[in-house]
Amino acid sequence: MSTTWGTLSGRLVKNSMEQKLPLIGEFELTGRCNLSCGMCYVNCLNQKEAEKKERSAKEWIGLAKEAFDAGMLFLLLTGGEIFIRKDFPVIYEELAMMGFNITLYTNGTLITPQIASWLGRLRPSQIEVTLYGASQTTYKKVCGSAEGFRHTLRGIELLLAQGINVQVRTSIIKENVNDFESMAELTKKFGLQLGIVNYISPRRDGENSILNTRLSPKETASLEKRIEEYNIRDNTSLACVTEDISHVENTQEQSCQFYDINDPFQCGSAKNSFWITWEGKMVPCSFMNQPSTLPLEKGFMTSWKELIELCSLVPVCKSCSECELSGYCTTCPAKLYNETGSYEKASHYLCELARERKQVMV
Amino acid sequence: MKVKQGFLLREIADSWVVVPVGQRVVEFNGLMSLSESGALLWKRLEQEVTDDKELINLLTGNYEVEEEIARLDVIEFISNITEKGFLEV
Repeated sequence: MSTTWGTLSGRLVKNSMEQKLPLIGEFELTGRCNLSCGMCYVNCLNQKEAEKKERSAKEWIGLAKEAFDAGMLFLLLTGGEIFIRKDFPVIYEELAMMGFNITLYTNGTLITPQIASWLGRLRPSQIEVTLYGASQTTYKKVCGSAEGFRHTLRGIELLLAQGINVQVRTSIIKENVNDFESMAELTKKFGLQLGIVNYISPRRDGENSILNTRLSPKETASLEKRIEEYNIRDNTSLACVTEDISHVENTQEQSCQFYDINDPFQCGSAKNSFWITWEGKMVPCSFMNQPSTLPLEKGFMTSWKELIELCSLVPVCKSCSECELSGYCTTCPAKLYNETGSYEKASHYLCELARERKQVMV
Repeated sequence: MKVKQGFLLREIADSWVVVPVGQRVVEFNGLMSLSESGALLWKRLEQEVTDDKELINLLTGNYEVEEEIARLDVIEFISNITEKGFLEV
């Protein structure tokens, strides 16, 4: 009369996609952050203005209630940095009692013994901490804060001491690519796996400063080779390349047989998952600014249905679907739009990356 | 016997799922899926049940199942959720 997690998640993902139920929700509670990483896709430069535009605790809680009624089970709370919101405890304590499987994303630097102890009592399913380097020097270069390194490690230690399920991940850019092995070793000392985000998208607001800091296609392919070699040398899979590593999204990845080949979204976006930006817009995923709907103005269910409709109008990129390098490429409408300004135009960066991957693998 | 407070039964996408809420995540960090008949028993166990017979009758009353099979199903179900710490005995 009961089922294992694997069977359950597979069935939930399949059924929710078929029925277009919003099983997975991601709430970007704030755009503000205490760090200032050049590659961040949110990156609010004017934090005071951003704070004014933020949605209230009451609005987020109300939205969660509506999403619960619509079938949301998995909820990610992210930012910006969630712990920068003074009312985060108010929001979290309400959501934690509703009946979701909750994941928190944080940079870990604002975790104090008091916060860790509070989370230990009202535990989320998991907390994913982003590590930006293996030294103070790298943290200074990536996030503008040397102290951030020590604070992140302390945050991880405090959370682990509370018995919380912690995952560590990193985003690799030019400024921390040389730290990859050290970060993997550091994470291993905690007994954890390092998830690696190796693709940095241009920001969804069209601002392109990250192009100076992200790895070139050649550097990305060679990083992937380094990761593979590290895992072989270490006889482990403690480091892994991933585009996003949340528990359910991994299940979604394994469920790719559910996707229609003619669907430009080879993922759960607007099929069973959605993202709410810190300003309160519903979008298909974190990378996308459009299509968008307004759940706080029009109601959750109306917005979800509108999002499904709008996403069904997104065209397939013909040259990508016919490309012989598609096996080496992880293109999607979000990446294409951010890279080229069009859903139908192949991206030079992604094409080059696919070519480099093929070359490295030969 | 009765299921502990803090475990919420939800029906999502044709599945019955038990979700730990708040401090219960400390005891059980995950999800448990129940069949339709399991969910029926769970809902009854949200109130105090003093006799297994009541649960057996619930199954035989709702499904075409022999009493002996229903009895074995109930024993297995109770044992399973007791082992996972969901039940107050």
